[in-house]
Amino acid sequence: MQLFIGGARAGKHDAVAARFPQATWWRLTPGQRLISAADGLVGGTPLVVDGVFDWLAASIDQLQDDDEARRQWQDDLQRLTHAAQTNDAALVIIVNEIGRGIVPMERNERRLRDLNGWFSQDAAAQAEQVWYVRHGLVMALDGQN
Amino acid sequence: MIVFVSGGARSGKSDVAEQCVKRLSADKPRYYIATASVYDGEMAERVARHQASRGAQWQTLEAPLAIDQAVAQVPDGHGTLLDCLTLWASQVLYASELSEEAGTALLASTLHDARVRGLSLVVVSNDINEDLLPDNAETWRYVAFLQRLHYLLAAEADSVLEVVAGCAIEWKLVKEPQ
Repeated sequence: MQLFIGGARAGKHDAVAARFPQATWWRLTPGQRLISAADGLVGGTPLVVDGVFDWLAASIDQLQDDDEARRQWQDDLQRLTHAAQTNDAALVIIVNEIGRGIVPMERNERRLRDLNGWFSQDAAAQAEQVWYVRHGLVMALDGQN
Repeated sequence: MIVFVSGGARSGKSDVAEQCVKRLSADKPRYYIATASVYDGEMAERVARHQASRGAQWQTLEAPLAIDQAVAQVPDGHGTLLDCLTLWASQVLYASELSEEAGTALLASTLHDARVRGLSLVVVSNDINEDLLPDNAETWRYVAFLQRLHYLLAAEADSVLEVVAGCAIEWKLVKEPQ
């Protein structure tokens, strides 16, 4: 799995589309688990999973337990990566960098920032490669931490 | 030579950019294109702080909007610092009749002129898109416009520097993924 991370309008979509022109794009649906993206897998075709931030934002009121949510997506990341391997399909996940500002006043915005950051860390932990996208340019992060 | 320097607030962008212009312009006079309009005491203080740290070898040109005309005034082959694009972008959107397309085209022609006449042009801007942005259309319009300018600059520049705590990270020369 490869993870692309970057800020708003940083060029993530273009960077991924240029490198995986044949990919199927899967936008996460609020209320569904991450593993639902496995439905988008076609043998030999790269799968790009997008919309993580909106997915988290839309479900934040329903999420009772942030730790449980995290365990679920960690488990799903593993299953999704495995499913992609079984289908001989490259897997790409796109996430937003939103953590470089001041602490939000609203509790749910702080939670959202936390969840988005945890998701990014968890995806990066299972990624073979992490790419940081900035102003249309792409840098490889070595992740040796 | 075109260099794009950006980073967060007080990350040391201007210092890195000034050193860059100094390196590129050797003993020749240097030009400073200021996009800031001084409209209150705080802005006057910020401008004074930057001017004092730059020293006397700099000729200042003020260009709240007409960066193309300011660059046109710089003699061929001279080092020039444009500080900063973030402010210029807000002035294009909120203090001019220019459309976003016209603003983008104006930056493109400014870069082209600098390139053709051999200027060493260093452009400074702020990274503001890695935050949980307010959920309103106007903020997103501004961020989208600024990012469009950053895209253009990053594509045109020979060197793209991200500044973190005064340290510059080179983005343009790194190997791209296969």
